[in-house]
Amino acid sequence: MVLMVDSRQLETTDQGFLVKTAEWNEAVAVQLAALNQITLTEAHWEIILFMRHYYLQFKHLPNARVFTKAIAKEFGEEKGNSRYLHRLFPEGPLKYTCKLAGLPKPPTCL
Amino acid sequence: MKYAIQINASPYHSSAGQTAYQFINAALALGHEIFRVFFYHDGILHAFKHATPPDDELQLTQRWTELAKHHQIDLVVCISAAQRRGLLCLDEAQRQGKQEDDLAEGFRISGLGQWVEATLIADRLITFG
Amino acid sequence: MKHYLFVLRKPAHSGIYLQETLDIILTTAAFDQKVGVLLLDDGVFYLKKGQHPEKSNMKDTATIFKALALYDVDDIYTERESLMDRGLNAADLCLSVQVIDRKDIANLMTQFNIIISG
Repeated sequence: MVLMVDSRQLETTDQGFLVKTAEWNEAVAVQLAALNQITLTEAHWEIILFMRHYYLQFKHLPNARVFTKAIAKEFGEEKGNSRYLHRLFPEGPLKYTCKLAGLPKPPTCL
Repeated sequence: MKYAIQINASPYHSSAGQTAYQFINAALALGHEIFRVFFYHDGILHAFKHATPPDDELQLTQRWTELAKHHQIDLVVCISAAQRRGLLCLDEAQRQGKQEDDLAEGFRISGLGQWVEATLIADRLITFG
Repeated sequence: MKHYLFVLRKPAHSGIYLQETLDIILTTAAFDQKVGVLLLDDGVFYLKKGQHPEKSNMKDTATIFKALALYDVDDIYTERESLMDRGLNAADLCLSVQVIDRKDIANLMTQFNIIISG
C-alpha cells in the first residue's frame, strides 16, 4: 500500500505501518491519524514523540505491558496506565502509537 | 509443592519437552501441583495441532492434550513467540484469511504476564531446554 | 515481590533467542519485580563494543540492553573469568557492569529467588 503525504509516496505494510521509519515526519503522523479516525491532541503527540524517540534510542519494540511501564516512568502513573492510554488510542494504545510514530508493528504479547 | 514449568525447546530439536512431560507426571504422582506450563522460544512448536510425526514416534502434542484434560493443567503458549513462528491466535489467523487457528486442544495463547504470574504463585520455576 | 536473576550464556547474534529473553526480562521488570542479569561464558559478547549487526540484517541487541535502566534493571553482572577467557575486560563492554569473580558467583545467586538460565 502507498500513503501520499505532501506529494511524497510512502510505502506501508498491509496493516498500514510505514515500511521506512526514516520517512516519518509530523505531517505523516497527521495523515495516518486521519486515516485511523484519531484526532491528534497534545496528549497524543506526547506519547507518539516519546515512543519514536524510545525506538530510535533503544531499537526496541516493547509489548503492551512494557510500553505502559515506559510511559509511567517518563510521564508518571497518571499517564502510564491502560485506562488513560486507551482513551487516547481506543483501538490499542501500543499498536496505534507505533503506527502513528512511523514505527514497525510491535509484538502482540499481553 | 507448587511448580511452574517453562519449556523453551522444540520437540524435534531436543528431548527437553519430553523430559518436562515426564517430570510433570512424576510430580503429579507424588501429589505436587503443576500451576502452569509455559511454552516459550521454540517450545511453542509443541502446540501445533497438525503436527503429524510418524506413528512409531512419540506423539508429544497429543500427550500434552491428554495431560491437560486429565489433570486440568494450564498449558500456555506465548503469543509473540507463537506469532513469530506462524502459530497464530484466532484473530490473527482470520485476519490472514485462515478459517481457524493451529492450536492443539488443551493449549491456550496468552502473554508473558502469564509467565510472571506463574513464577510469582509457584514455589519453584523449572525450565527445560 | 521476588528477585529474578537471568543468566545469559549464549553467544551474541545466534538467532532471536536474546530478543525473546530480553522481552521476558523487561516484562518481569514491568511487573515491578526486582531483576538482575548475569552475563556468563559467551554471554559477555552481548555487550561487546563496536558491533555493527545491522550490516548483516540482525537486530542491534546491545542497544536494547541500554533500555534496561529505564525499567530499573540496574544490576547487570558479569564474571571476570568469562571476560578474561575471551580476551576482554569491562572497558570492552558498551554498558557499565559489575564484574564478579567466579568464586563469588554462587554467593551472588543466593540473593535471588528465581534463577533463569538462558
